Amino acid sequence: MAREDDRAREEFTSEAEELLDTLSRDLVDFESQGTNVRPELVNKIFREVHSLKGLAGMLGFTEISELSHSLEDMLDRLRMGRIAISKDLVDLLYDSVDSLNRLVIAINDSSVSGLVDMTGLTRRIHQIITSQPQQKHGDAFAELTLDEQTRKSLTEYEEHRLLENVRAGKHILSLEVTFDFSDFDERLRTLTSNLSEAGEVISTLPAIPTGNVNGIAFRLLYGSTLDSAAVAVLAPEAAVSSLRKSGAADSQPAVPPPPAEVEEEMSLRSLSQTVRVDISKLDHVMNIVGELIIEKTQLEALTRAIAMQQARMASHELGKISRNLDRKLNELQKSVIEIRMVPVGQIYSKLSRTVRKVARELNKEIELVLRGEDTELDKMMVEELTDPLMHIIRNALDHGIEPAEERKTSGKNPVGRVTLTAYQQGNSVVLDVTDDGRGIDPEKIRRVAAERGLIGGKEVVDQARAYELLFTPGFSTAAAVSEISGRGVGLDVVKKNIQELKGSIDVLSHIGEGSTFRISLPITLAIIQALIVDAGGDKFAIPLTSVEESLRIYSRDIRTVERKEVFTLRDFTLPLLRLADAFGLDDDHDHGPDTKWFVVVTRAGEKSIGLLVNALVRQQEVVIKSIGERLKTIPGIAGATEIGESEIVLVVDVGSLIDHFGGRAREVRAAVVLN
Amino acid sequence: MKILVVEDSSSMRAYLTTIIEGGTESYDLEIVEAASGFEALKTLPHHKFDAILTDINMPDINGLELVSFLKNHPVYRNIPIMVISTESTEEDRRRAAALGAEEYLVKPFQAGDLVEKLRRLLKVA
Repeated sequence: MAREDDRAREEFTSEAEELLDTLSRDLVDFESQGTNVRPELVNKIFREVHSLKGLAGMLGFTEISELSHSLEDMLDRLRMGRIAISKDLVDLLYDSVDSLNRLVIAINDSSVSGLVDMTGLTRRIHQIITSQPQQKHGDAFAELTLDEQTRKSLTEYEEHRLLENVRAGKHILSLEVTFDFSDFDERLRTLTSNLSEAGEVISTLPAIPTGNVNGIAFRLLYGSTLDSAAVAVLAPEAAVSSLRKSGAADSQPAVPPPPAEVEEEMSLRSLSQTVRVDISKLDHVMNIVGELIIEKTQLEALTRAIAMQQARMASHELGKISRNLDRKLNELQKSVIEIRMVPVGQIYSKLSRTVRKVARELNKEIELVLRGEDTELDKMMVEELTDPLMHIIRNALDHGIEPAEERKTSGKNPVGRVTLTAYQQGNSVVLDVTDDGRGIDPEKIRRVAAERGLIGGKEVVDQARAYELLFTPGFSTAAAVSEISGRGVGLDVVKKNIQELKGSIDVLSHIGEGSTFRISLPITLAIIQALIVDAGGDKFAIPLTSVEESLRIYSRDIRTVERKEVFTLRDFTLPLLRLADAFGLDDDHDHGPDTKWFVVVTRAGEKSIGLLVNALVRQQEVVIKSIGERLKTIPGIAGATEIGESEIVLVVDVGSLIDHFGGRAREVRAAVVLN
Repeated sequence: MKILVVEDSSSMRAYLTTIIEGGTESYDLEIVEAASGFEALKTLPHHKFDAILTDINMPDINGLELVSFLKNHPVYRNIPIMVISTESTEEDRRRAAALGAEEYLVKPFQAGDLVEKLRRLLKVA
C-alpha cells in the first residue's frame, strides 16, 4: 500500500504541475481580456482550481486543498457574476497560483516550504469576496419555456449563464441534433465551436434519439444575437426552436452583436493522444541507443579489418549490414531525441509570473516580451534552465531597468522592457535576455569588485574584464539572494549551472541602452558529434558544437606574445593551448620548426582558443558518460566516452578550458539592437 | 462484473482504480475508465456495465448531465450510479438524487467508504 501511496502522490504531483501550468497560461489570457473576460475562460479557470482542490484533498495535502478551496469559492462568485473583476483580484489570482506552485514543489522539496503566506492570501480572498454586495438575481425561467427534466439537469452555473443571456436580450434557442455513436464527439465539437463564434453554448444535454437506434441525441441550450432562422443556417443538422415565451424579447435583441468570439481549442483528442513518460525512462532508452552506437562502431571496425584481409564477399555483405544498421540507428536516435524535446515556452508562464511579482516588489513597471516559445530543447535542460533564467531576469529588473523617473529624464519610455528571445542556431539553442535599462558600467563593476577584494584597487577594468567579474564568485552578495529558487545564488552559480549543461553565457551591453545576457546551449546532452584527436599519444574527444574549424600548421607558425603561444588566423591573434600540456601529459612531439601540428579552433560563447594537437583521428558520435567525483575538479573534462574497440577517451569541455587557460573574443560585438 | 469510472483527472482515476481493485479482490471485477462525459457515452454501447461511478465537474458534458441521460435511457436506465464529487452541499446531493443517482460520495473520502458504497451499489455482500 505504501508503494501505491507513493505512486498516487507522484501522479498527483505531476498532474497538479500540469494543471498549474495551464492555469498560469489561462491567467495571462484572463488578464489580457480586461474586465470583459469570456465566461468560458472564467469557468475553465474555476474548473482547474476545482480539480486541484479535489486532488489535494484526496491525498491529504491540506494547505493546497484549503487554498484552492478559498480560491474556488472566489472564482465561483466571479463566474456567477457576484463579484467583479478588479486589479486586486487579478493580482490575487497570480499570487495564489504562485503560492500553489510552491506548495506543490514543497511536496518533494521541503526546503521550499514556509515561503507561502497562507493567512495573508486567505485574508485577501475574504476581502474580495465580502467587499462587494451580492446581487440577487431574478428567475430566468419565467420568460422561458423549458421542461422540468432539462431544468433539473442544469447546474447552478448553467442556470446563471442562461439568466445572463436572457437579461442581455439574447435569443435563447434549443438545438436538437442526432449523431451516430461512432463520431458524435467530433461532430458535436465542430458544431459547438461554430456556434461559439456567434454566441454561448450554455449547456449540452444528451438525450435519447427517436429514430436512429445507433445514435445519440443532444439538446444544446444556446444564447445568441442570431435568431432561430439564422442559427438554422449555421447548424443545418439541428432542429432549432426558440425557448422564449411568445411576445418576449426574442425577435428584438436588445444589444448589438458582440465581436465574434473564438472558441478556445480544448481538444480532448489531443489530450488522450499524449503519453506522460518519466524522463528517466527516456534516459534509459537513450542509453540503449548509445550502447547500440558503440556496437555499431565496433562492427564498422571489424568490417574495415575484414576488408583489409581481402575477404571481399564477406566484407561487402558486412558493409551493407553496417550501413543499414547505421541508418536505422540514426532514425531511432532522432526519434528519441524528438520525444525528449519540449518547447521552451513551457517555462515562459512561470517566468512571466515571476516578472510580475518582482516588478511589483521593486515598484517598477515592466513589459515582458517573450519570443520564440516554440523553440525546442531537451526536457531536462528546460527544467535546469528555469532557475538560471529567473535569476538573470531578476537581475535585469533589479539592476538593469532604471526607476521610472530616471528613465523619463533620459528620454526613455517609463515602462521598462525585458525581452526573452529563444532561437535555434545550428546545433545550439540560444536564449537572449535583453533589457533596455542602464547597461553595465565597467567603472561601477570595478568599484564593487575592489570593495569586495576581488581585484586590487589599481587594476584597470575594461568592458571585457567587467563582464568577467560579474561571473566571479563573491561578486554577487546576499542582497541578490534569489527568492525564486529559495537559495542564495550569484551569477557565478548561474554560469556554473549553464556550463554543466555544456552551454555558455555571454554579456553584451551598451551603457545607457541596455544589456543582453546570451545563453547558448546544445540541443541535447545525450549524444553528440565529436572530433577525435590525438594529443601526446592519447586520444580526446572534442564536441563538434565547440569546434569552428581545424587547420594544419608548422611549429614555425607559432609565435609567442607575452610568453603565451599564439597563431595568426586571418588577422585574428588566436591564443593556443597545447592540449597535452593542459592535461599534464608528456609531449615529446615538437622538434624543430618543421614539426606538423593541427590547430582545432574552438569557441565557447564569444571566446576562442586554438587547441594544438598532433593528429585529427576522425569525427564520430559519442555518448558522454559522467566520470566520478574525483575527476570532476580537473578543469577541461566534460566526461568520458567509449569510441569503439573498448577504447575509452576523455571528452574535452572547451568552456572550462577557456575559463582556466584564457581565450580571446574575436571582436566586441554590438549589443543586440533594442527597440 | 464490469464498472465504468468516469473522471477527468488521470491521477484521480488511477487512485480510484487502485482502491476499487484492492477492495474487491474477491470478485471478478473489470474496470473501464473514461476521461470525460463524451468518452463515457462512447464506451457505453460496447460494454454491459453493472455500475457507473462518475465525477461531476468535467469538460464537455458534466456528471449530472450524464446521470440525466442514463436514467432516461431505455437500455441504460437500470445501471446503478454513484456520483463522486467534491460538491458537498445538501443541494448537490439532492440534485443528484433527483436525477436518479443511487449513491453520492464526497471527495475526499476514505477508501473503506468507497468500497462499501460500491458493494451496496453492486448488491454484493
